Amino acid sequence: MLFNLAWKNIWRNKKRSLIIITAITLGLWSGLFSVAVMIGSWDTTVNSTIDRNLSHIQIHTKEFKDESLTSHYIPDGNKLADEISNLKAVKDVTARVLIEGMALSPSSSRGVNIIGVDPFREKNVTTIADYITEGEYFNGIKRNPILVGEKLADKLGLKLRSKMVLSFQSIDTTLTYAAFRIVGIYKTESSTFDKSNVFVRRSDLYKTMNSDPVVNEIAIRLISSEDLDSTIAILKENYSSLVVETWKDLAPELEMMYEFLIIEMQIFLAIIMAALLFGITNTMLMSVLDRVREFGVLLAVGMKRVRVFFLIMIETILLSLSGGIIGMVLGTFTIWYFSDKGIDLSLFSEGLSAWGMPTILYPILPLYFYGVLTTMIVITGILAAIYPSIKTIKLRPADAIRTYG
Amino acid sequence: MALIELKKITKIYDDTAVPVQALKDVDLIIEKEEFTAIVGPSGSGKTTLLNIIGGLDKPTSGNIIIDETDISTFKTDQMIDFRLHNIGFVFQAYNLIPVFTAKENVEFIMLLQGVEKEERERTAVELLTAVDLSDRINSKPTELSGGQQQRVAVARALASKPSFVLADEPTANLDSVTANNLLDIMEKLNKEHKMTFIFSTHDARVIKRAHRVVTLRDGAIESDVITDNAMANAN
Repeated sequence: MLFNLAWKNIWRNKKRSLIIITAITLGLWSGLFSVAVMIGSWDTTVNSTIDRNLSHIQIHTKEFKDESLTSHYIPDGNKLADEISNLKAVKDVTARVLIEGMALSPSSSRGVNIIGVDPFREKNVTTIADYITEGEYFNGIKRNPILVGEKLADKLGLKLRSKMVLSFQSIDTTLTYAAFRIVGIYKTESSTFDKSNVFVRRSDLYKTMNSDPVVNEIAIRLISSEDLDSTIAILKENYSSLVVETWKDLAPELEMMYEFLIIEMQIFLAIIMAALLFGITNTMLMSVLDRVREFGVLLAVGMKRVRVFFLIMIETILLSLSGGIIGMVLGTFTIWYFSDKGIDLSLFSEGLSAWGMPTILYPILPLYFYGVLTTMIVITGILAAIYPSIKTIKLRPADAIRTYG
Repeated sequence: MALIELKKITKIYDDTAVPVQALKDVDLIIEKEEFTAIVGPSGSGKTTLLNIIGGLDKPTSGNIIIDETDISTFKTDQMIDFRLHNIGFVFQAYNLIPVFTAKENVEFIMLLQGVEKEERERTAVELLTAVDLSDRINSKPTELSGGQQQRVAVARALASKPSFVLADEPTANLDSVTANNLLDIMEKLNKEHKMTFIFSTHDARVIKRAHRVVTLRDGAIESDVITDNAMANAN
């Protein structure tokens, strides 16, 4: 009956209750959606970084981590890659040759990372093939094909099928030059990546350097990112002489970005909740002041003060939850809609690509967040009820009964 | 047998610029089953006396003994509990819970007492029937006339099975016919159910029906008269 009374009391002044419920709904709705966009943008950035070239796990030698020289290769790298690909959680593995060199065109030159890949296996580990905007993925040119980023091609004044020269230090430290023909131009979300990375077949590099099939980097793609911790533990144990790292170690800025995002989210939600707190307190205070005589009667006829306190508390929580639940339903629907369609931010593509962020965002909100929000709403309701409740239980029934209203 | 005994009750309001003495050494005994009116001009101390008897206010000095229990020293929550189980209230402005039906208003007091749902419902219907409102059980206060609302308030006051009912100007807002109907019901409850009623009033209609009239003036009892009604009632 106390719940019944509390619920009915909320609707005594429909206009006032609806105004605050609308405020809570809008606050929650916008809060949820904004948080989902923040998490979604981080998640999309992480996924695109993993997909683009990072993969879930990478293995290098300690020497290569200190100094990125091709001569610091992984002993029996190809055999090791095959071994790892047999692990249950692994989708596929690609073994890469990494060389720092120069890209030369008739008009210009730039420093680039030359990534020698096995085109077939690379396709199973990263999505670089999907980023090709012109030409084809290592198809159509038989001798020394190369994939370059759109930005780099622009800087060097090159087009599809243009010839370019790569110069780099060979394993035996001799300076080597080789001509490559552009078989494909790619464009990822990161203009920085596009400016500084070229992909070639590693067999072409071995031929050019006249070297054995060495490997500097083993990139591992997992079937599910949930297996990351267990897989990294196995690899670290099996290959303790090598440096085994997850994408979090390889791109610490993403982890930092996540921590920053969490702080930002907390501040954002705290501001929304604080605004709601004052709004709800004000509404409840008005509601209580309207009913001074009634509370006086309740206290007079024998309703204990603690019960009066809880009555106001329940009213406030029900009021907050009403708005909160509507806000959450609307927020969930909006997130669900945009998580499928995406939010097109191509108007800001220049700025976003400098940060390596995709132009289409897919908002997501982890399930646990709904629990956190419900708790936050209830806590806000409880905090908002304290002042009006205390004010009420301090009433002297003899005086309160004689007030008007 | 004394139901209420006031001994040397003094009440001074000292939270005003000039302290006001509302009651001066009032001694009063009210027996069980009485139908008493406390009367007097405005400012005579009727309401203060009623508040003190009802435990809504504390005397500055003196003792209030109800059913052999001295309530003058009770703490706030103890007093609320005492009121819930021993005193029924009827107010001038009815003061029903507007979102509840007549039945729910009556039931609410029993809910506070922890009475089971089935018994609550049965008692509420019985009481509303006793005050001639069996056909308005599910009506909300806004759907009832002033007289009907006051009858619901009487049923509510009786719901807690109190030792006595305090009625503060219960007929002040009612027309003659309605006021007489209400008084008929109260008299019937007094006679048939042995319920003690104490009124604070200056309504002649109530005074005419009272079995005892206590007149206050300037915070002291000026007269205390047993009326003919008491004799008639005894016969």
